[in-house]
Amino acid sequence: MAFNFNWSPLTADAGFYERARDLLTTALNKSPKPPIIVDDIFVTEFNLGSVPPDLEILEIGDLAEDRFRGIFKMCYSGDAFLTLKTRVQANPLNTYLSGKPGFASPEPLSASSSLTIPLQITLSEIKLSAFIIVVFSKQKGLTLVFRNDPLESLKVSSTFDSIPFVRDYLQRTIEQKLRDLMMDELPAIIHRLSLQIWCPDQIIKEDEEQKEAVDHTVNPLSTPPLDAVDAEGHLLDPAAISELSLEAGTEPQSLFSQKSLFKLTSLTSTQETSALFTPSIKEVMYRAWAGPSDRFDTAGTPGPATPSLHRTTSYTNGTAHTYTFSDTASQDQGNLPSRPSLVSLNSATAGLSLGSGRHSKAGRKKKTRVVNLRGKTSSEGESEAGESSETASTSAAPASEPVMSHPILEVPEEDMPSNASKVRFGGAHPRRPSFRGDREPAKVSEAPVPSIEISSPNTTQKQASRQSSPVDIKVPADWSRPRAPSEISPSVILEQAWVMKMAGEIARRVYDEKNRNPQFWEERDDTPPPAYEPRS
Amino acid sequence: MREFMQYVRNAFYGATGWNEDNSYKDLNVTARELIDFPLPRGIRLSLSSLATPHFATSYQLCNVGVVDGSISYLHSSVPLTAVPAQSDKIPLGALMRSYRGLHQLGTRGGAQWSWETEPQAGTTPQIPAVADMRPIPNKDKSSLLYGRLYLPQSLLEAMVIKRFSSALQVQMSAVSEQSLRNGGTMLSVVQYDKGKYGLEGLYSTDGGLLGLRGLYNFGGDASGTAANSQNGPGSQESAEKERIYGRFSVGGELYYGTLNKSGGMSLGARFATLPTHKGTPLTATLTINPLMGNINTTYAVLAKDFLAMATRMEFNVYSYESDWAVGLELWSNRRPAGFLLGADPSLHLESDEPEPPKKKDRSFRAKMEWRLDDPEPEPAKVEKPEGKTQEYLGVFKARLNSNLNLGLVWEGRVKSLIFSLGTGVDLHKLGEPFRSLGLEVQYSS
Repeated sequence: MAFNFNWSPLTADAGFYERARDLLTTALNKSPKPPIIVDDIFVTEFNLGSVPPDLEILEIGDLAEDRFRGIFKMCYSGDAFLTLKTRVQANPLNTYLSGKPGFASPEPLSASSSLTIPLQITLSEIKLSAFIIVVFSKQKGLTLVFRNDPLESLKVSSTFDSIPFVRDYLQRTIEQKLRDLMMDELPAIIHRLSLQIWCPDQIIKEDEEQKEAVDHTVNPLSTPPLDAVDAEGHLLDPAAISELSLEAGTEPQSLFSQKSLFKLTSLTSTQETSALFTPSIKEVMYRAWAGPSDRFDTAGTPGPATPSLHRTTSYTNGTAHTYTFSDTASQDQGNLPSRPSLVSLNSATAGLSLGSGRHSKAGRKKKTRVVNLRGKTSSEGESEAGESSETASTSAAPASEPVMSHPILEVPEEDMPSNASKVRFGGAHPRRPSFRGDREPAKVSEAPVPSIEISSPNTTQKQASRQSSPVDIKVPADWSRPRAPSEISPSVILEQAWVMKMAGEIARRVYDEKNRNPQFWEERDDTPPPAYEPRS
Repeated sequence: MREFMQYVRNAFYGATGWNEDNSYKDLNVTARELIDFPLPRGIRLSLSSLATPHFATSYQLCNVGVVDGSISYLHSSVPLTAVPAQSDKIPLGALMRSYRGLHQLGTRGGAQWSWETEPQAGTTPQIPAVADMRPIPNKDKSSLLYGRLYLPQSLLEAMVIKRFSSALQVQMSAVSEQSLRNGGTMLSVVQYDKGKYGLEGLYSTDGGLLGLRGLYNFGGDASGTAANSQNGPGSQESAEKERIYGRFSVGGELYYGTLNKSGGMSLGARFATLPTHKGTPLTATLTINPLMGNINTTYAVLAKDFLAMATRMEFNVYSYESDWAVGLELWSNRRPAGFLLGADPSLHLESDEPEPPKKKDRSFRAKMEWRLDDPEPEPAKVEKPEGKTQEYLGVFKARLNSNLNLGLVWEGRVKSLIFSLGTGVDLHKLGEPFRSLGLEVQYSS
């Protein structure tokens, strides 16, 4: 991937330098000035030069048409320069006395008389080296943050170059000031500039926006924990969480157990004070245990699958029939897994390449940044319905799961985006989720999908709804949910038998397939899901 | 208005016979005090006491937006017995008068600090009265300790003055506060006063500043004493002394910061009339800072006994910046807010003219005898003590500088409280002219 930056068009805009000068002037005069500077600082000349900075992409966290997030390494040693004008106090004794208590002052008679001199400072040969975090969104503008102190070196030339004391003082003062400017003011300036360029209407209500943004970041209820407990440690149901709000004055801490918070605090403090005592916290994986736990994972124990188990507890009843299916299937295999059906379903259907072990790893590494290539997937001819539902599911945080109008179709897909995105890095393997697997027979033809029978009504619904309108997708998807259980409920035994038969059939086919194409299966780095282990 | 502790410190200088004027630092102090007098800000109450002749305390409570205060203690090894410390007896001139006449040179021990510096109508305030204190035997080894704690800020000021001989004195002052670099700063000053010249060396821990100041007096009484010692009275020089009614002083200062490698210097000269001069007392100074190109001239005059004025002009030959300021001090013997305090019985008695004797009727016996009464003996005329009645009760000070900042202060005594009421006015912004407003109340016992 390569980016092409145009450095010169910045200067093509006639008003750019004027705007930048004004912004710099206000920024420089905002903070209290050292006593040697007795007047406002004016930026008279400002030029970015012709040499662009070197940018190295270290990481891209998010990439879309309207937003971008990434980390860059920037090196700059170009010919940009900046000229400031101000007035300085030339008498060192005068600046020495300012800010000193009068009681112990030497009280010079006239030796401290002031002499102010107009000063012109030119900053050139600026050498920068920094890690930059860039976050861009069309709505919020561009945010740029320096991760470290960007200023490497700088040449300050002024009217006082012949006097070494003043020159050194100015060099030191200006370097310090510039560091502050880079770290604190420049992000704000760039943000304001970007707002002017991309969303001028936002500037008017910028203050309100910032206030709102602060509110959003502060609100802990927007992202409640997966398993919220009250002060006594009892589980809270999601409806209760959604009822909670900061405005209502409910204590947000009550979502988290006081005991756990206390333990966490003591844990942090022990790490800070290097105390030997480590409080034991229930259901917590300590980093020191990481080695053994990895071995634990590969042994196929249900441990890694607990996150998805936890998630299923907060699901609505609509997922029930999916459960029955996989459970029966696994029972049919005579191997009762503690692993929830969703996992096995996904790993078996959506990508044969996806081992359960990899999946569990993906579950643990959920915080790794992921490039979202949704634009590309849609170009592959995916149905609009699928895309829209997937968008809904990706945007749906766990907090939104209890919403009852959620289509059942999305429930199995809840885990899809993370899996699918992982697969995309894998490259050649199909990344179709289970319910769309049947429409890509070329890729999964060798491995018949176990969910064919169940998902086929859904897909037909989908195709039907696609012809009508993509907006209506939720309605048919919704009424597909009662249908599926209704098929089961009149003749449960029949259905069970059918499901068992199907599962057996699938397992047999999978076994055959594996025999036929052993190296394909060997690509999987881990053991297959227990439900589909070949029967001996 | 000087603070009580400064008043006591001056009293200490007076009791030990230290001439604080003989320092280059105070070359233009007269004009400075007439122009740069402090404006009271907010409300400040001080309660002070000279509890014993050796020990003084002062408590202060200020309210400038926030309430804060200070506690200060002072210990003097010299008993300050004759110092009037009660606020209804303190001479106002010692607290408030800005125009400072010169002290006599080389008369240490002879002419002490005059407690009667309070100006009185008809008398020249500059003549130091003969001290009514008994001579202090160990004043050459006297010392003064002073400490002050500002409470919410936890700022501590401390000062030690130690006299080693009649001509040598060491002053050390220190400030301790958290916000200062290194937690505080300390200044030591060694003062050597030989009458004809005075030398000062100083060292400040802040930046390692070294300083040297010197002042040399000639003309007037300074040369007179020399002439007297050399060839006795009646010579030609005594005639010249009659012609020149003042004393010339020249001096200079030099500073060097050892840590920041910076320095500064200035030169200065002063002409001041002697206290014995019968004409208008005046003081004129000129200081030059050759490094920074700054020229500063002041002129202060005691036009009338109740009126003193001063001007100051500054000019910088490098940057062509200039500055001027004028100050004025007007004493009044009017009772402040007299209409409010008209019921004061003592004032009433004082101000009342003695009743003219009523024309008596003829006595009964005289009527009986058909003759007039014998003429009564003439009542003896009561001599009114001029000085006592025309005591100054307050002073009005004003200043104006080139930025058109006007400062106005009224200071005076009401009963046994000493008030200072002041405001700063910015004439550029007549819409909201009052920049600051303050009231200081001082009581001491």
